[in-house]
Amino acid sequence: MVERKRIEIPADAKVKVSVGPEEKFPFDISPMYEGERIRKEDMFVELGGPKQVKFELVLALPMDQVEDMKVTLVGPDLDEMKEGESYPYGMLYYIAGSKVETDLEPVIERRNHDFQNYIEGYMHLNQRYDIWVRISKNAVKKGLKSLIQIAKATMMLYKNELPFIEKIEAVYITDKNLVEKILKEIAMPIYDERDRRVETLHDEDVEEFYSCTLCQSFAPTNVCIVSPDRPSLCGAITWFDGRAAAKVDPEGPNKAVPKGELLDPIGGEYSGVNEFAKRESGGEYDRIKLHSFFEFPHTSCGCFEVIGFYMPEVDGIGWVHRGYPHPAPNGLTFSTMAGQTGGGKQVKGFLGVGIAYFRSKKFIQADGGWYRVVWMPKELKERVAKYIPEDIRDKIATEENAKTIEELKEFLKKVDHPVVKGVVRKVDGKKITEGWPEVVGVKEEKVEAKPEVAAPAQAPTAAVQPAVQVPTAPMPIPAMPAFQLPMPMPSQQAAPAGIKLIIKDAKITIGKIVLKKKGEK
Amino acid sequence: MTAIAVTGKGGTGKTLVSALLIHFISKKSRKVLAVDADPDSNLSDALGVEVERTLGDVREIFQVSRDEMGTMNKEQWLEGKIYETICECNGFDLLVMGRPEGEGCYCFANSLLRGILRKLTRHYEFVIIDSEAGLEHFSRKTIDSADYVIVVTDMSKKGLATASRIKQLVKELKMNFKDIMLIANRISSEEAEKRIREFSEREKMKLLEVLPYDERVVELDLKGLPVVNLDESSEVYRRMRKVAEVFLKG
Repeated sequence: MVERKRIEIPADAKVKVSVGPEEKFPFDISPMYEGERIRKEDMFVELGGPKQVKFELVLALPMDQVEDMKVTLVGPDLDEMKEGESYPYGMLYYIAGSKVETDLEPVIERRNHDFQNYIEGYMHLNQRYDIWVRISKNAVKKGLKSLIQIAKATMMLYKNELPFIEKIEAVYITDKNLVEKILKEIAMPIYDERDRRVETLHDEDVEEFYSCTLCQSFAPTNVCIVSPDRPSLCGAITWFDGRAAAKVDPEGPNKAVPKGELLDPIGGEYSGVNEFAKRESGGEYDRIKLHSFFEFPHTSCGCFEVIGFYMPEVDGIGWVHRGYPHPAPNGLTFSTMAGQTGGGKQVKGFLGVGIAYFRSKKFIQADGGWYRVVWMPKELKERVAKYIPEDIRDKIATEENAKTIEELKEFLKKVDHPVVKGVVRKVDGKKITEGWPEVVGVKEEKVEAKPEVAAPAQAPTAAVQPAVQVPTAPMPIPAMPAFQLPMPMPSQQAAPAGIKLIIKDAKITIGKIVLKKKGEK
Repeated sequence: MTAIAVTGKGGTGKTLVSALLIHFISKKSRKVLAVDADPDSNLSDALGVEVERTLGDVREIFQVSRDEMGTMNKEQWLEGKIYETICECNGFDLLVMGRPEGEGCYCFANSLLRGILRKLTRHYEFVIIDSEAGLEHFSRKTIDSADYVIVVTDMSKKGLATASRIKQLVKELKMNFKDIMLIANRISSEEAEKRIREFSEREKMKLLEVLPYDERVVELDLKGLPVVNLDESSEVYRRMRKVAEVFLKG
């Protein structure tokens, strides 16, 4: 981790210091100035922006290293700047408090943008190494003389709005060399470290998850739970985004969801999450396992980037991404399957996820994770290839290896994919599937039943009103995946013990459909 | 802030009306935002300005980059990019909304956009929105609403039919407008003018102005020149200035 410490200011630098709160500000401070855009012709100076080097950064330090309400300005101040020009800009804040920790730095840093925009005549855009600030001529006319005034106003807002900040100190830099140095040596490594957090933060490291109900207008019972190991299925929101949004607007579409008690560490079930889901879905469902495909799976609104589907013939899971036009080995296209899974319902056998979920260490952990995955389109596989464990990567088929179930079975047998002999769950070493019966051997008796759908043998009727006759070309419905009982589906009736009912390749052909009113012959 | 949406069947002259309205209002007001909300946009051409990027472009970049944003704040990123796409023109700012949504889920992007645009438009005195007849941005609520809706039509039955449909749509979308008005364009006969007046009474849409067919507008169109270059002696020019004054007075 990058060490958090006070920066060194070169001995020969031009420095201005001021300690203590400001009595009066020559500018108005209010949220109504948010969004205020300062045009080029109205600006006094531009700080940062496309032509200059810039950054903003918050550092959490121990209490004794922060001098409360102190501002140090290194480099020229406003009264030494030429109208219409742009200058380099670095804003650094040291914060301390008993509840302050490094993980909070980005959340606090974001507020710099919000608070500075409350200042009349000061416009702040973007974040990190992209910041773009403009100060209006009007503001200067009204008495703004120094960046120290800006710093003091910002620090005052920080202390008022975020009371857990007990001490705050600012260092503003307009000296090009120093801005470049700090950006390169301290700021960029810290931004990178934060981004890497996305991969190293896990469900167990945090106390709360975040919900998202943005698409409830399309799917009123859908509630997405976003956790560090499970980003949103639409791809838009990570746990970090949820946290940022919830801190700014706790009653908005992203709310904090306290985890509560851990009920199932492998499937990812928490009492707090269950309660929340029950409430927000209007009682539609009351249990969610975040990392399970089959048991109480997460719901979706229909916007997921990728859909997973279970193929009982191979006892494995396939994935298809939005935009893949061809049918998967189960004969169904993305859109057909998507139609099954949307609308905020828990549908077993299908699961909508975001592409970022493939990166997760807990990727469908309860069901064997990557070791249960048998097929995905080449385009998708290449995109997430670096997250697939090496020992399984080449065993997952793409459309180049198999387009049908038969071809898939051949391929999986050839490469000896774990589903063939039985998948062992890496997370706890437990064997969770039995393998293919024809390979592993089966003790029970198999009863094969081929259903016959009798086309209703109607004598050509003297047309009875208002019977409607549909053209008689046989209409084949796409082959339904073979069903194998028992599947962990509580809603189904368990097959009588000792008998396995296997219905294979059911093709239902309809010779004629005759619609009749009740009572007619 | 007063928001005026100008809409109508394509080809009836709504961009002409928007452009001249923007032209006149920005002469008197220093805070004007012109918004091109028509995906088949050409408001920038009518105004004689060049635009490098549209909001649609930014939205698409957002959709593909959002996975790689690490822990950067997405809303701030989007807001910054949008502010960068706003064109600072002579006397007004111009935002081109650009292409409509592609594949995938835009819920999150649009919800961010809504907030960003709402905060942005607050600071202008006038926001003039050139919108297609489908009013997509209003139905998606990326643009909240408009105080005034001006429907532009010509003499054709199709133009009038679209005008009634727009009135219906505006009500369905609950656009909370103060008034919905009509401007008739390319009216070349008394008979036609009479029919338009009857239509406006029937539909209860105030007839703001009747613009005649003007050769000089046609010529500018043919040459691809900005319509704001229209000769000051042109009747269309004069009448649109009167329309602008109605809004400037408040």
